[in-house]
Amino acid sequence: MSDVVFEIKDLYAFYDEHAALQSINLKIREKRITAIMGPSGCGKSTLLRCLNRLNDLIPGFSLKGQILFRGQDIYQIKDLTEYRRRVTMVFQKPNPFPMSIFDNVAYGLRIHGITKKSILKDKVEQALRMAALWDEVKDKLKKPAVQLSGGQQQRLCIARALAVEPEVLLLDEPTSALDPIATTKIERLLEELAQQYTVVIVTHSMGQALRISDEVVFLYEGRLIEYGETSTIAKTPKHEVTKQFLTGKIG
Amino acid sequence: MLIGSLMLMGLVFAISVPVGLIGTIFLSELAPRRISMFLQSLAGTMNSVPSIVYGVFGLAFFSVKLGFGTSLLSASLALSTMSIPFFMNSAVEFLRAVPKELREGVISLGANKLQATLMVLRASKNGILTSLMLTLGRAFSETAPILVTGAVFYSTKLPGKLTDPVMTLPTSIYAIVMNLGERSQWMAKAMASLMVLIMIAVYSLVQITRRNKRE
Repeated sequence: MSDVVFEIKDLYAFYDEHAALQSINLKIREKRITAIMGPSGCGKSTLLRCLNRLNDLIPGFSLKGQILFRGQDIYQIKDLTEYRRRVTMVFQKPNPFPMSIFDNVAYGLRIHGITKKSILKDKVEQALRMAALWDEVKDKLKKPAVQLSGGQQQRLCIARALAVEPEVLLLDEPTSALDPIATTKIERLLEELAQQYTVVIVTHSMGQALRISDEVVFLYEGRLIEYGETSTIAKTPKHEVTKQFLTGKIG
Repeated sequence: MLIGSLMLMGLVFAISVPVGLIGTIFLSELAPRRISMFLQSLAGTMNSVPSIVYGVFGLAFFSVKLGFGTSLLSASLALSTMSIPFFMNSAVEFLRAVPKELREGVISLGANKLQATLMVLRASKNGILTSLMLTLGRAFSETAPILVTGAVFYSTKLPGKLTDPVMTLPTSIYAIVMNLGERSQWMAKAMASLMVLIMIAVYSLVQITRRNKRE
């Protein structure tokens, strides 16, 4: 069972008194695309953010249960710097830092102590190539990143997350703010990345989940209602809510 | 007088920028919600206190209690007491306006609190600059706090040390209008025009930095 990257055991998440997630049990496998699906407010972003421990920042957030990353309970980790290098995140809204394209991608590397110019240059180029952005920006690496288009910005954010050579890439509805063409580009990119990385993507688009994911997780009102191979679930959904979701009655 | 005003500004700048900036960062990034709300309403209240109150406070506290006398030092401290909450009130809005995605983006890459704060400052630097200029503009034109703590109406020499009194533009205008006869009004008018010009220059600078931000 060494291909399990994340094992989530009986997870509850609370914002103050409100339970956003209840009794989640789940395994996420290596080098596959796992899509987390469900209607708005079902807790899918909460679940994803737990995997990077980003919810720690929110006042009133608390958690019960366990998330194991390769066997280690991530909520026992004291020094998150190294953990967050291994598990990076891309957000719903592109969030380029107010600096140049180059510095955006190099930012994570610098945090993790890489300062040698030649190494930075190589790694930035490599990351931009992986994010299929290199050809578009290679002549303007010094330009401010905010001048890029929305789709380019999002690929820049992916490059930034890849530059630190993580094992897992978490994406929170990465295409919901983008047009169809930019969305297609990012979907192609994710399929390629899944050969090297474990990808977990939150999406509310059924179409997107069917197109790119290997496994799919359905959440509804904070509970996990179904999960498994995408193709199996698409053909034979077991649960009533999943059926409605597949046929477009909800979501 | 102009140089006196500028010296005073320099000191106010040196005192209120570090204190104000640290206060602002504390308010928006570090303090727990409750403390931050309390401090912000405190700063808001201090902002609406009439400036002469700061003058009297400065006179009682810096000039008399701490023994700084009628001096450049007392005047700049009294002015800073007024400027710091003014600066914090406006700068904290710019820091709060930084989208939370940016903070989260930095944190999610493994950055610590200090690195995240630096990123937030970088994102809001134009806004902070704007607040700074507005603060200095206000401090420059303020008369009451320095009238009773540090200003003399006539002095032939510039203050050589911190404990010397100082002449400034607004206090000199006040002195001329109050004490001298009709025939000296032209002096007050000239000085007032100079002040208006300087204020226009300062606020234009603010506008220019704002425009740059938008681009």
